[in-house]
Amino acid sequence: MRINFKLLLGSALLTLSHGALAQMNIFACEPEYAALAKELAPDARIYSATTAMQDPHQVQARPSLIAKMRQADLVICAGAELEVGWLPMLQMKAANVQVRSTDKGLFFAAEHVKTLDQMSNVDRSMGDIHSLGNPHVHFSPQRMLTIAQALTGKLIQLDEKQSAGYQQQLSLFSVRWQLAMTKWQVKARALQGMKVIAYHSSFRYLFDFTNIEQVADLEPKPGLPPTSSHLASLLKRADKGDIAAIIIASYQNQRGANWLAEKSNLPIIILPLSVGGNEQSNDLFSLYDSTLDLLTQAYRAQK
Amino acid sequence: MKNFQFLPARLSAHLPIKFSAAIVISSFFPLLSQAQTPTLSNLTVSAVLDGYYQSDDRLMTERAEGFGLGETELAFSASIDDMFFGKLTTVFESHNGETEVNVEEAFIQTMALPNGFTVRAGKFLSDIGYLNNQHLHSDSFTSRPSAYRAFLGGHYFDDGLRFSYIAPTDLYWTMGVEAFSGDSLRAADEHGERAFDSTGVYTAFTKMGGDISIESSWQLGLSYLRNENGQLTAEEHDEAGHEEAGHEEAGHEEAGHEDENDHAHGASYTGKNTFITDFVYKWAPNGNYKYQHLTLSAEYFRVSDFMVPDLHEELAGAADHEEGDDANSKDYHEAWYVSGVYQFSPNWSAGLRYGKLNSQLQHEGHFDQQTLKETELSIAWHNSHFSTVRLEFSHQSNVGFENANNDNVMTLQYVVTMGAHNAHQF
Repeated sequence: MRINFKLLLGSALLTLSHGALAQMNIFACEPEYAALAKELAPDARIYSATTAMQDPHQVQARPSLIAKMRQADLVICAGAELEVGWLPMLQMKAANVQVRSTDKGLFFAAEHVKTLDQMSNVDRSMGDIHSLGNPHVHFSPQRMLTIAQALTGKLIQLDEKQSAGYQQQLSLFSVRWQLAMTKWQVKARALQGMKVIAYHSSFRYLFDFTNIEQVADLEPKPGLPPTSSHLASLLKRADKGDIAAIIIASYQNQRGANWLAEKSNLPIIILPLSVGGNEQSNDLFSLYDSTLDLLTQAYRAQK
Repeated sequence: MKNFQFLPARLSAHLPIKFSAAIVISSFFPLLSQAQTPTLSNLTVSAVLDGYYQSDDRLMTERAEGFGLGETELAFSASIDDMFFGKLTTVFESHNGETEVNVEEAFIQTMALPNGFTVRAGKFLSDIGYLNNQHLHSDSFTSRPSAYRAFLGGHYFDDGLRFSYIAPTDLYWTMGVEAFSGDSLRAADEHGERAFDSTGVYTAFTKMGGDISIESSWQLGLSYLRNENGQLTAEEHDEAGHEEAGHEEAGHEEAGHEDENDHAHGASYTGKNTFITDFVYKWAPNGNYKYQHLTLSAEYFRVSDFMVPDLHEELAGAADHEEGDDANSKDYHEAWYVSGVYQFSPNWSAGLRYGKLNSQLQHEGHFDQQTLKETELSIAWHNSHFSTVRLEFSHQSNVGFENANNDNVMTLQYVVTMGAHNAHQF
């Protein structure tokens, strides 16, 4: 009994001290933004709604997410309609006015950078695409730096007292990020001209950064799974002999890729979609390191 | 239908309503492409097309034998200002050559109340049970379980007011109360003589839920519905004592009759107190819902006090004389179902559902127990996230229902969504 009482008292005190610190509750739609929040607001209580093993397009507006959003001070999402199938439902059910609009505690990363592949005329017959451009911006190092700056601005807006602390975290992050960027640019230069077949446009920004050419997509149309006739046409394309690898993301089904790899003798590279997508990717830095290393290995093997 | 204001007058004058509706929907597309932002701040327009062929009539369903349109809906929603969100959902249905236009939702909801409170007013879907607040087009079967068809008229939407609260806890916990006019849940009143309460239905509900692991989640709900107009009265009993009235009652439960426009959306069995328990469990490998996932759900309904006390006594007296005949008749209706739906791949899913309804039918001065058992197997092909073609086989066996055979019914259905991406509930 005594132990129980102590435990109870301890947890009560812990709750109180948390309250005194006014620890910020951050809800991230994707793990890359949870990781970024951890760099910029290390003291915050951060929750990621999805993992790198899950398709961020198709997430259930499940009870636990509603409960987390109810308590959030800040919600960070990729935006550009990536979360259109579930975020509005969470907002509706969580009844948390703080995270309803971008004027307050809602932050869309894609709103702060120029997205690629914006379309003026979108039609569903083209597949599940978004007029606001490709939302998977987290593989663009330059854009992530801009997003980090904007996010710091948002953190300061919400928690002015800690303004100096957030500024300090941002400058620390910026220095480390820029240093890493020079290293990544060297690796990227070596990858220039590499041709790949990939699944979805998940790595659009990575390929843009590294000048890798995605010559074909395993999906016949965005959001639609590979079909056998489409795979047959990819095999024909692969027979030209200039393709280095088939690339899929950690959450994507390997079946189509396996079939194509077997027929074409191409290697499959499973790249982490985000932080936590493989053993090496523990934060944003190691995510880039691991991804670029995996690509470099495959390109060297082709040569 | 004449009041359907989205139709330009010229079009509706020249074309059958079905086709003009389609044209109007398509003419919204230029508007749609600019109204897709998910932030609840722009006007979102979405349409759902639902068409079917059904080999036979089924008890209490809105779908009838032959070709027809199910819940074909056109919905508009937007933030009105920083406080209010509004939604209008219009539903078209057609079967047996009749077209209906209904307003299923026309509500405003607060968005900026503090501390997790929300108020919704207007016409909306009640939040009782698991399926009721979901739109029919997101169902995995062509018809709602018999529990919903018998006690809520398929799905219960009404004019009313809701207060709800969500607790700031890691365990999802929400609760709410509602008041509705309750017209569609009124007890049968063939002669229109009864003085019904204008605010007839009150509900209270709570839902809890969470994750068990990264792969699975659950939700449990408890609901109570009090229906001031749900009890059969003694006068009613007098009417039902005659044989014709008994047949009226039976016809009331049958969809697909000529009076279905009046009755298809109303409950077939009503009572003063309804209790509902629901449970949902979802699983996906790694919590990734793109390729495979499983949904298990079950609900139990109990509708009690379906007759006023003096009627109850009278019938109890009658039962003493008749002996044995009424031995299996209970003083409550109940129904339950269990359902499992598995998505094998992004293109294919299959579902199996079993449900049972035990209801008491007023008949010549006493109540007879009726039983309806239904087994449904549905197989769906999803060309994309936005289109579904479904084939469903249902087997129903019943005891005590008139004009109903123990049947195998086949239904072929399509459901497609256009315009703004619909956000789905858990």
